[in-house]
Amino acid sequence: MSEFDAIVVGAGPAGASAAIRLASSKKNVLLVEKSDPPGSKNVSGGVLWGNGLSAIIPDWEKSAPVERFVDTKSVAFLTQDSKIGIDFSSKKLEQKKTGYTVLRARLDQWLARKAKEAGAMVINGVTVEKLHVEDGRVTGIEQDGDVITSDAVILCEGANPRVAINSGLRKPLSDHDVAIGVKEVIKLPENTINERFHLKSGAGFACEYVLGYLKGGLEAGGFLYTNKDSISVGIVVSMSHLRKNNATYSYNMIEEFTAHPYIAPLLQGGEMQEYSAHLVQEGGLRSIPKLFGNGYMIAGDSAGFSFSNGLVLQGMNYAIDSGIAAADTFAAAYDRKNYTENSFKSYQDRLEASYVMRDMRTFKGIGDVTWSPFVHKKVPAMLETLMMGLFMEEGRPKKHMTRMLLDALSQNDMLRVSSLMDTYRMMRRM
Amino acid sequence: MKIEDRLSLLNYKTDKSYAHITIKPDICETCPDHFCTFACPAKCYTLIDGRLNFKYEDCVECGTCVVACAHDSVTWTNTKGAHGIKYKFG
Repeated sequence: MSEFDAIVVGAGPAGASAAIRLASSKKNVLLVEKSDPPGSKNVSGGVLWGNGLSAIIPDWEKSAPVERFVDTKSVAFLTQDSKIGIDFSSKKLEQKKTGYTVLRARLDQWLARKAKEAGAMVINGVTVEKLHVEDGRVTGIEQDGDVITSDAVILCEGANPRVAINSGLRKPLSDHDVAIGVKEVIKLPENTINERFHLKSGAGFACEYVLGYLKGGLEAGGFLYTNKDSISVGIVVSMSHLRKNNATYSYNMIEEFTAHPYIAPLLQGGEMQEYSAHLVQEGGLRSIPKLFGNGYMIAGDSAGFSFSNGLVLQGMNYAIDSGIAAADTFAAAYDRKNYTENSFKSYQDRLEASYVMRDMRTFKGIGDVTWSPFVHKKVPAMLETLMMGLFMEEGRPKKHMTRMLLDALSQNDMLRVSSLMDTYRMMRRM
Repeated sequence: MKIEDRLSLLNYKTDKSYAHITIKPDICETCPDHFCTFACPAKCYTLIDGRLNFKYEDCVECGTCVVACAHDSVTWTNTKGAHGIKYKFG
């Protein structure tokens, strides 16, 4: 007889969602979190996209500690001197809120509280060392020699899943699996943010940047999100690119970003409140391990469910939905009293049928595009040439716009067959 | 802002009796790249007179170094007993 029906390791969005779902269907569930309070070791950009939480917490937006709803979503290329971007602001984003900026220390603490309210037992400050295995089946967790038993364990450890790795359920992370995220939270008065970003009260701005100007030719992405009275700003650099460079300090790269002529004014007068960093799961489909086995399932970042398609960085939404899928799979197994690998097969089916695995498949190989010199160097340089051509007024007759585009492409070495292939590849993978 | 100043904004509950990350100095001694010194966002790995110096106390538990080290010098475990970094915002 097990002490718990299920144990969930890790109280982030995946783990808390799984625990809430399980507790709501009267399962005896333990949610174990190494930090205290929960959330105090967690970092994300971050924008929580989607409405996944509504499945477990109706009207979650009313009580969740969200910062602002995203009503302006932008993407921009930055060169040394320029910003070339697209802004999308819409009344439609206000009516149908699709994303909220969040701060994880606040959000995750709230989620853990919701799990407790739903009936889960939540323990903080306890680090799971390894899985307890009996007869080839995971039947609990171990900590300092103590065993807590359960019929199954759902691993939701985040982007650095030590228990899954130590138990051989996930291969040690390698360069192609991860990027390094470095972030700063800059305090600014709410009104200043509203004025600076042209936002109504409660509305937010979220932008992802392609950084094509960093020293050493490093390719990195930037992000800037408005919170209620602070700004989250940061960079994401792939491990393999930083390794190839081997001359740039990750903690200095963010300074290069925040000093850009079109980023610095957005942060001006702000006071840094926090510096943070975390691995980011970036490998996409090829990083995803076997998701289930005898007595266990893996969800969220631990399973590699996070990536950027170049326009938007997502992860928390996949975490929530995979956590719920794992809980539902457990509930079905519970009815059969069968916690073998075979019984958890429907976890994969649930994910394949949902947008989680579909997105992973649709955007497989996107990393080759988002982390390419083509996107980081050639495209921004070409766009800058084109814009200068379009808007320079030199008192001379203007060229036809098509001619300008061709000139811009040619000046930036983009009319070659290889560049056309790059363009084709980019369009296909996006 | 210097990284040291940025790190000074953070709250830690330092575990004085347990280092959650350890390195093998003999491996670091002959390391050809010392990529950890560039990759670690908390400047826990520094070269002092050509020798690698590591301190776990400033670690923000991001997980970077264990992937960054291609020479199997880094052993990474989770902090215990709610020790380590405590973010207010995250």
